[in-house]
Amino acid sequence: MSLKVLTVDDSKTIRMVVKRAFKDYDVELHEAENGVEGLALASKIKPDLIVLDITMPVMNGIEMLEKLKAEASLKDIPVIMLTAESGKDNVMKIVKMGVNDYMVKPFKGDQLIERVEKIVKLQPSSGDGAGEGGAAKYFALDQDVQLLNVPDKVGRPVVVEIENLLAAKMKEMVGAGVKKLILNLGKNSQTNMSLIKLIVLVAQRCQSSGVSFRVTGQQSLGDELKGFQETSAIPFDASIDQAKAAMA
Amino acid sequence: MTDFDDGKLKDVALRAALDVFDTMLSMDARETKKVPEGFFNGSKIVGSVSFTGDVMGCSRIYVNHDFAKEMTCAMLGMEPDEIEGDEEIHDVIGEVSNMIGGGVKSHLCDMGFPCQLSIPNITSGTNFTIETRQWAWHEHCCLQCAQHLAMVEIFLKTK
Repeated sequence: MSLKVLTVDDSKTIRMVVKRAFKDYDVELHEAENGVEGLALASKIKPDLIVLDITMPVMNGIEMLEKLKAEASLKDIPVIMLTAESGKDNVMKIVKMGVNDYMVKPFKGDQLIERVEKIVKLQPSSGDGAGEGGAAKYFALDQDVQLLNVPDKVGRPVVVEIENLLAAKMKEMVGAGVKKLILNLGKNSQTNMSLIKLIVLVAQRCQSSGVSFRVTGQQSLGDELKGFQETSAIPFDASIDQAKAAMA
Repeated sequence: MTDFDDGKLKDVALRAALDVFDTMLSMDARETKKVPEGFFNGSKIVGSVSFTGDVMGCSRIYVNHDFAKEMTCAMLGMEPDEIEGDEEIHDVIGEVSNMIGGGVKSHLCDMGFPCQLSIPNITSGTNFTIETRQWAWHEHCCLQCAQHLAMVEIFLKTK
C-alpha cells in the first residue's frame, strides 16, 4: 500500500518541490494550502507523514501542529516542519513543539527524502519496476559474467532499488556458480554522490560474497572516479570486453 | 548596530541569495559588482518580504521576466512551454524572496533583533521604479547567472 504523505504549504512552488522529491517513491501525495485545510485533510486521510510549512495565511503551521497534537487520532502522525528561518530561537521553538524533524528552506529534494527516511520507510514506486521486473531492468547474464547495467540518471531511488535487489541477486549468482560481476556505467557521463554510493555498495557486496568485481564506462568517467577517495581503487575498464578479459 | 555598518548586511543578503540559487535552482550565480545600465528598464518582477519587530525593513529581489521564467522552470523541473501563466512565475519569485528574507531574518534574530517575516509580495510590470525612503541602512548586491542578472536589495531601520 502506498505511503500517504500530506504536504501543507500556501506556496504551490514548495508543494511542487515536495511532490518532485517523492516522485520516484511509492507515495500517495495529498496537498493542502493552509492549516485549516491541512487539519481537515489529515482527519480524513490519516496520512503516514505530514510535511508542514510554518508561515501560512488562515492558519499557520504552528497552530495546526498544536491542534494536531491535541487530537487523539492525529497526534501520533509524524511531522516534518519547513521553515525559511534558521535562527537559533526559531529552531528551538520548532524542536520544543514536538515535531519529528525540520527543514530550513532552501532545501534539495534529496535532503527532504533523507529526513523522511529516518521516520518512515520509503519504497521505490512500482512503476519503476520493483521486484522481478526491476531485477530484469538492471541485471543481465552474459555467459559467466553478471552485468549490472546502471541507468543514465542515478539518484537515491535507483540506489535504493538496486540495493533491495542486490542481496537476492548475489545469492542467486553464488548458487549458480557465477563469480564475476561487471557494473556497467556506459550510460553515465558524470558522477554524483548517489553513483559513488552505488559503486561502493556493489563493491562491498561483491567482496563479501566472494564475487570479483569491475566497473566499465567512458574513460572520462573512470578518470573522474579516480579522483574520489571512495572509488580511487576501483578496477575500471573502458569496455565490457576489456573488463571480461581482465577477469578471465 | 555597528554590525550593519561594515558591509555585513550585504554579505548576509548575498549569501542567502547564493544559497537559494544553488540549492533550489541548481544555478551557478555569482556576485557582479556593477548593476548594468538599463537593468531597471523593461519588464521585471520584484519579490519582496518585510521584517517587523525590533528591526524593521524589507528585502527584495529584482529579475526580468525571462530570467523569472527560467528560474520557475529550474525550481519546478518544468520545460518553458509547460508554464501555464504568470501565477507559477510569481509564486516561484515570491518563494525565492521568502527564502532570501528568511536567511536575512535568521541572521537579524541571532544578532539580537527579533522580528517577524511577512508573506511575500510580488510587483511586476514594465518601466516602474520602487522608491524606498527613510531607512537607516540600505544595501544591494547584483548576481550574475549565465546571461541573466538579479538584484537583491535590503533596507533596515531599528525601532
